[in-house]
Amino acid sequence: MKCEICSKKAMNEYCKLHERAKENIIGKYNLWKTALNISWKEYLNEITKNPYTGSSAKELAEHLKQGEQEH
Amino acid sequence: MEKHTLIIAEKPSAAQRLAEALDHEGKPEEIREKGVPYFVAHCRGKRLVVAPALGHLYTVVQTQGRRNYYPVFDFKWAPRHVAERGAKRIRIWTELLSKLAQDADHFIGACDYDLEGSLIGYCILKYVCGNKEATARRMKFSTLMKSELEKSYQKLLPRLDFALIEAGKTRHEVDWLYGMNLSRALTLAAERWSGRYATLSTGRVQGPTLRFLARRESAIRCFVPTPYWGIKATFEKYGCAYEAKYARQKIEKRIEADTVVKKCRGKIGEIEKIGVKNLRQKPPIPFDLGKLQTEAYRLFRYKPRRTARVAERLYLKTLISYPRTSSQRLPSIINYRRILKGLSKKLVYGRLASELLKKEKLKPMEGKKEDSSHPAVYPTGNLPARALSESEKKIWDLVVRRFMAVFGESAIVQSTRVCIGVNGYHFYLRGRRVMKEGWMHFYIPYTRTEELLLPSLKEGEKIKLTNITRKDKFTKPPPRYNPSTLLNKMEDEGIGTKTTRADIIETLYNRGYIADERVRATDLGITVSETLQEHCPEVVSVKLTRELEEKMEFVKSGNEKRENVLIDTVTQLRPLLEEFKRKEETIGRTLSDAIRNAQVQERVIGSCSSCSSGQLIILHSRKTGKRFIGCSNYFKGLCRASFPLPQRGTAKPLGRDCKSCRWPLMQIRMRGKRTWRLCFNPECSSKEEGRKRVEMRNL
Repeated sequence: MKCEICSKKAMNEYCKLHERAKENIIGKYNLWKTALNISWKEYLNEITKNPYTGSSAKELAEHLKQGEQEH
Repeated sequence: MEKHTLIIAEKPSAAQRLAEALDHEGKPEEIREKGVPYFVAHCRGKRLVVAPALGHLYTVVQTQGRRNYYPVFDFKWAPRHVAERGAKRIRIWTELLSKLAQDADHFIGACDYDLEGSLIGYCILKYVCGNKEATARRMKFSTLMKSELEKSYQKLLPRLDFALIEAGKTRHEVDWLYGMNLSRALTLAAERWSGRYATLSTGRVQGPTLRFLARRESAIRCFVPTPYWGIKATFEKYGCAYEAKYARQKIEKRIEADTVVKKCRGKIGEIEKIGVKNLRQKPPIPFDLGKLQTEAYRLFRYKPRRTARVAERLYLKTLISYPRTSSQRLPSIINYRRILKGLSKKLVYGRLASELLKKEKLKPMEGKKEDSSHPAVYPTGNLPARALSESEKKIWDLVVRRFMAVFGESAIVQSTRVCIGVNGYHFYLRGRRVMKEGWMHFYIPYTRTEELLLPSLKEGEKIKLTNITRKDKFTKPPPRYNPSTLLNKMEDEGIGTKTTRADIIETLYNRGYIADERVRATDLGITVSETLQEHCPEVVSVKLTRELEEKMEFVKSGNEKRENVLIDTVTQLRPLLEEFKRKEETIGRTLSDAIRNAQVQERVIGSCSSCSSGQLIILHSRKTGKRFIGCSNYFKGLCRASFPLPQRGTAKPLGRDCKSCRWPLMQIRMRGKRTWRLCFNPECSSKEEGRKRVEMRNL
């Protein structure tokens, strides 16, 4: 199976790095929600433009945003 | 013909110093044969021939067979010119040493007194001089000063330091077994899958080092920041503004931060409490190599390897003691007063050295680490005979000032914390003041003494709050290692030695596993590390490396046999490599992909400004085969952006922008010519200047 983002070897939908980024993104949402009272979509937008967000986390956030739009 | 004593030094400059020190007139004869120098000195009627090595002349090699299989556990020691392609010169060196040995009746090893130095001397005495290691004697010294060398020659050690030699041999052999087998396994796995050769390497220390760099990189890449808020308040007293921080460093909700700002704005503060503490700061400890490298990086941004090289040159110029030491101690035998008296002759150190010389007793501050071979790095007290280079000046000054600082008294720094209450909320104003300079006085300009002076304040006093603002902040990803913090990490983890750590870091750069000064593990580095972690985790485990280091220390102290360590190594490696071989196809595929991606990445210059969707990349014309810079959409016919490139030499992105036009620069390297930078923007103003210069020259 290949990672949906970078086409590297993956166990499920993402490679190791993007899987870890996904865990971080999901894990941090509650903190953002408490701090700023924002929706999931707004949160993804915020972390995409944040300079401290790591490159893999940004790629995943973009991918999730696209997924949301398609739905 | 009269027989001579053959003294083996580690390198030509050390041989010259030795010969000058031992010759009764201080003027030894320098002879060169086929470009290899050696020195003839006369001492008490005896003819001494001081011949240099060129670092290691012998190395570990595979006993027989080709280079396309693994595991290989049979090895022998052989001259480097047999084992390495680029070491032809070593042959001339060994031939000369062998010739000089034939006319010698006494042999003395005088290489640096450490693991590597002892091994270099041993290999020459054993293999080149014809088994003279058993009868040879040893000179032991920590500086190349005449007095110390003379003393060392008078009091020769009766035999070579065989425990050190055994430890040195063990280290080289264990490293060879790990490095050669694992590197070959990686390289062959990738080659067999893709059919293309690319050097991949790992080793006993390289593996774990790359592992924690890759882990850090993956933590940075996957990092998601969280917001928090701080509050900055500015108070005014006697017409001056002072910045204070809110009692809580981190406020997790923006609404809470806004509330504090709203409730405090326009209010008057009251000083509720003033806390004053006097902190005693002990003098620093003397430099071992690692600490010197860390400090040189902090102050001058010198990479560890550069510092080691500069320190080595200063040692050869007899300005500092032997730098490859892990000791943080300065024994009194080095004679502190003599050194300070020597330094006092230099104007800039005169006053400081005199102050220390006035002390009745000189006792240095010392660290915990000891090294049986050498003391910590210290200045010899000699002054430079010739002008030093800029980097030599800096490192020498640093060593001198550090040496003086370790004899200084503790500094006393007063720390003040003023608690200001505003409408029920608390803010802290902090001050810092040096009350007694102590050792800092000797270590200027390298001390970090930022003073924050506060006005005189009293408890209960009112203070005006002039401004209060909310500060939006985010948690930051873990910092990248720099060459200095990476070196410290390796030291803390107990992997590698003081002499090898800097070289290991350099190898990781050369292999393309890491890049940039703020160390970034590349995709290739991460893949190699992950592959090793997945298929042979023991190789990248710090535990295994540390255990091996400990065993080698036991060999050094004579509590363990070299043979046992080697048997353990082979026992650990054999199943690992067999397992690796079984999974070679999977591993090869992953590594080949990573290599191919890395090669593509090497060609990427930046994003294309013409179409905004593609990337500028080094391409080759399908018709002519000529290379040029073009958009990644060029061959799809979507973007026609293209720029010419020189057709000879190698061209790669430099990773920096042109100062004139901000376009990315290319680095062009041609054989036999100086490497140059190219801005490929045809409109760049720097080109116009160049054109004008050429025109002017033609006129």
